Amino acid sequence: MTLTGFSGIVIILLFLGAMIAFYLTKRGSETFQLREINSYRRLSREIRRAVESGTQLHVSLGWGGITSSESASAFAGLSILKQIIKESSICDYPPVSSTGNAVVSILAQDTIQSTSQAISINDQKSYSTGELIALTPYSYAAGTLTSIRNPNISANVLSGWYGPEVIWLTSAAERQGTPIIAGTAQLPSQAVMYASATDPLIGEELFVGGAYLGGGKIHEASVNTQDIFRWVIIAVILLGAVLSLLGVAYPFQSLLGGAP
Amino acid sequence: MKLNFRAPLSTAVAIGVGVVVLAGYFIPSLTEVRFILLRTGLVLAAVALLVGIINLLAVHFRKMGTNQTNSGYSLILVIALIATLVIGTVDMVQTYLIGRPNFQITNWVFTHIHLPIETSLMAVTTVSLIYAGAHILRKRLSIFSIIFFFVVLLVLLSSFSISTNYLPVFQSLRNWIIRIPALAGARGLLIGIALGSIAAGLRILTGIDRPYGG
Repeated sequence: MTLTGFSGIVIILLFLGAMIAFYLTKRGSETFQLREINSYRRLSREIRRAVESGTQLHVSLGWGGITSSESASAFAGLSILKQIIKESSICDYPPVSSTGNAVVSILAQDTIQSTSQAISINDQKSYSTGELIALTPYSYAAGTLTSIRNPNISANVLSGWYGPEVIWLTSAAERQGTPIIAGTAQLPSQAVMYASATDPLIGEELFVGGAYLGGGKIHEASVNTQDIFRWVIIAVILLGAVLSLLGVAYPFQSLLGGAP
Repeated sequence: MKLNFRAPLSTAVAIGVGVVVLAGYFIPSLTEVRFILLRTGLVLAAVALLVGIINLLAVHFRKMGTNQTNSGYSLILVIALIATLVIGTVDMVQTYLIGRPNFQITNWVFTHIHLPIETSLMAVTTVSLIYAGAHILRKRLSIFSIIFFFVVLLVLLSSFSISTNYLPVFQSLRNWIIRIPALAGARGLLIGIALGSIAAGLRILTGIDRPYGG
């Protein structure tokens, strides 16, 4: 095993260990300290509004699959979808979900059915569906416009993998006058969302939906672990910069380069 | 008593395969097993594509059946899908009969119908992006939006194909923005995304998040 491979395993095991440790130490406490993210506060408000007004939420999961680097975005979207179904279980109309990837559409249908069964929504007809809209980015964006323009949709959540064509979805929601909470792991599309969505999710905010929407202590523990690791990375970067300025050989350079 | 074996079985398969694939990235002796599992996953994804297309057809047939305002679009989609399927099948049969690749009709469809449509959609996207950039200050007036707007403007101005002699300050400022703050910001965002991806992946691997109905 290479040194890079060994350090990769160590980092993942440390991450997992820290998540479990945070979960066990704070299991009994009332809640974790999480910073305020306006987009999730808005989403919670929109879920309550949909329940009260008898409208629907539209959850778009993007067109990314699960066998490449796009998978994390898809899983984050499915996690948010699950929490939205739980929160809106007493709603007259369940949320509508759409995707541009066949595998994610199957996973979305499975998430919807298993979550609905777990919270005892027995009426099969009241399940929302994970619709496969189309299979290419532009056709997916064009097909999703119909869902956004549906007058019964009171808010939209875009959580998945998108290209710059996401501007169509955000513009359509703006014209419709409905809020749009949008996040993706693709950087150019994040810039588009920042400019056009009412409530953009920046960077890692996409992946913490479970913690902010009542997913449970383990989700909150994973957010705390992310924060700890972020501080460690910041410290390593600063240390590397100081060592480089002093002319000392930087030990992490060889590690990141795939040292044997 | 009704026992449900589906949930624990799917959870066990997902966790087991996930752990082996992850370990295969770091342990060279598991690389071959990782590739076998990934190839199997890709074949299953192709099967899922067929299931997805059936789902797509079912959804649009349902929409055509109701008196929805957009049911005409569903009709166009179904006709186009069936036509493309027939054309692809004819080409495949011809390829089999001739004994060499012959996808002339499929290529014609992609070159003369699919490609121009996608290109025109890309052009529409460009206009929409300019519109969104111009309206950001009206939508959300904050210090970050103002910085965003003026940086976009500056980078656009310095990207024109006029001689840099006329805009030397813009050119050097643009280069500095792209090399220092933009690159640093992008790296910061990517680090956050990487940490979020690790957390999401570990939640799936440990069975905390189960999007497969387990």
